[in-house]
Amino acid sequence: MTVASGARPARATRLGQWAQELRALLRRWYLQLVRERAHLVLTLCQPAFWLVFFGLGVGGLVDHATVGTDDYTGFILPGVIGSTVIGSAISGAVPLLWDKETGYLHKLLSMPINRGSVLLSRLLFQVVVTGVQVAFILLVAVVLGVRVATGFPGLLLVSLVAALLTVALTAVFLALAYHGPGHNTFFTVSGFAALPLLLASNAFVPLAAMPGWMAAVARLNPLTYANEASRQLVLGGWHPRLVGYLVGLSLFAAVCVTAASLAFRKQAGGAP
Amino acid sequence: MTGEAITTTGLGRVFGDRHAVRDLDLRVPTGQVMGLLGPNGAGKTTTIRMLTTLLAPTSGSARVAGLDVRRYPARARRHIGYVPQEKGVRHLLTGRESAEIEADLHHIPRRERDRRVTEVLDLLGLLPDADRLVSEYSGGLQRRLDLACGLLHRPDVLILDEPTLGLDVPSRRQVWDHVRQLRDGGGTVLLATNYLDEADALCDRVTILDRGREVVTGTPAELKRKVGADVVVVRTRQPDRLGRALAGLPWVRQVKVVDADVSVFVADAPSALPAVMAEARRHDVAVLRATYERPTLDDVFVHFTGHVAAGAQ
Ligand SMILES: Nc1ncnc2c1ncn2[C@@H]1O[C@H](COP(=O)(O)OP(=O)(O)OP(=O)(O)O)[C@@H](O)[C@H]1O
Ligand SMILES: [Mg+2]
Repeated sequence: MTVASGARPARATRLGQWAQELRALLRRWYLQLVRERAHLVLTLCQPAFWLVFFGLGVGGLVDHATVGTDDYTGFILPGVIGSTVIGSAISGAVPLLWDKETGYLHKLLSMPINRGSVLLSRLLFQVVVTGVQVAFILLVAVVLGVRVATGFPGLLLVSLVAALLTVALTAVFLALAYHGPGHNTFFTVSGFAALPLLLASNAFVPLAAMPGWMAAVARLNPLTYANEASRQLVLGGWHPRLVGYLVGLSLFAAVCVTAASLAFRKQAGGAP
Repeated sequence: MTGEAITTTGLGRVFGDRHAVRDLDLRVPTGQVMGLLGPNGAGKTTTIRMLTTLLAPTSGSARVAGLDVRRYPARARRHIGYVPQEKGVRHLLTGRESAEIEADLHHIPRRERDRRVTEVLDLLGLLPDADRLVSEYSGGLQRRLDLACGLLHRPDVLILDEPTLGLDVPSRRQVWDHVRQLRDGGGTVLLATNYLDEADALCDRVTILDRGREVVTGTPAELKRKVGADVVVVRTRQPDRLGRALAGLPWVRQVKVVDADVSVFVADAPSALPAVMAEARRHDVAVLRATYERPTLDDVFVHFTGHVAAGAQ
């Protein structure tokens, strides 16, 4: 072995290599998604349908005094976005789960790539997927007559909130996929977590209308703060509170990503 | 350049209270094909996963291409081509896309990438199928693609975990040819297999593992010699005359006569058979039947592990 071949490449080379591996991983995720046409179309459109049926259908039954606005579609918009983010975070971990179960993840990890690249590429990819979904939801909402109090800049911030929540939750589910014993556990746990995460939040019902204990639980739920922020932007208007929400969500995302990347340093769980 | 591409010292891995591999001292000289044999659960894959830095050893150490896999995992990985035991199912990508992506993951410079991808696809006869989806490939095509991808970055050490599992005979031969070509080009190959004929045809040396321990190491010929000799067996009406005629010859190790059968112990039965026949003719001995027996790796395997190999029919 010559010394040169065992030596560390220079910093610029390492940056270039890092970009190359991220691009390759993103290309792989992208090709696999777009080749499943039906899955792709449903993934992108389903949340918007939900907004239509929930907003127009259930909206007719809801007492406007309870939700505090007569724009119920506008009221549940953050909830629909939140449920989309949860769904996206779970399905975002599934390709990694399959890679683990088919043994391809082992091969990936035996390559000279940065271990964090698999995690990072998956997070980036899922943020873009959620971004497209959210853009579609917002478009449908505007068509349905929702008037956004903070206008277009507000919509961008709503998307940012969705992106932060996506990063946080996807990181958690990726860690579960990586470390769990297999797909049964993954789908049981994620299925078990999804509904409480959504329902024990203010996605569809304001905190004030909940029983006290439920409101207390909802206050511990990160989704509640994402909803508060979006709702403030859509129905309320500009307010200093928004800074607090955004900082809080950013911190939450940072904690989740840090925890997940620590988990990725360790051995993958489950069968070889 | 050191003489050893892979060296392990007291390498061990424990899962809970199960010793998957223990106290393994493996040495693979540069430029050789080394076989890892052993019954299911012997620890072949576990050993390979430690060498490819996927699994941390619980004891001992391992060096690949001169690099300690625990201290320099990332650098060691650059020298390793690894084809895992599992099929690399890359659902909805074409063969070429899969190879391109793996080339990028090995940091092959962009200007070289496409040429290199075409080269390895061609080497394994995959060019006609390069632009079909891998999900439509037959098992053999997939396995060849796995192998092609393992060669992309021209690794110094190629580590193959059961490379021909599920392949048809022509594809197996093709894979063997490629492995030999690689060795002849100076590469080192470590190969885990359950097929003893494969080990015999391909490996310069083999190590047999059983329950995590090394049982024996040597060239296939040495190991066969350890468990028995080549024997030419001649049936004749004049066994004693033939026995006497052969007994003193330099290439004959021992002669045993039992009833009408003369057993002649020699170093290499196929080449000794015509000589035995010539002696019989010279001494006017009428031969009724002549056969030879030589130990196979199967005999070696059964002798050292007490099991019949999983790959044997
Ligand atoms: N992740 C793991 N957790 C627990 N035990 C394991 C794990 N991986 C392997 N083992 C155990 O270690 C032992 C060696 O397994 P290994 O896969 O290395 O065998 P092998 O020689 O490759 O067998 P095969 O021919 O079936 O591929 C087995 O007893 C197996 O059950
Ligand atoms: Mg194995």
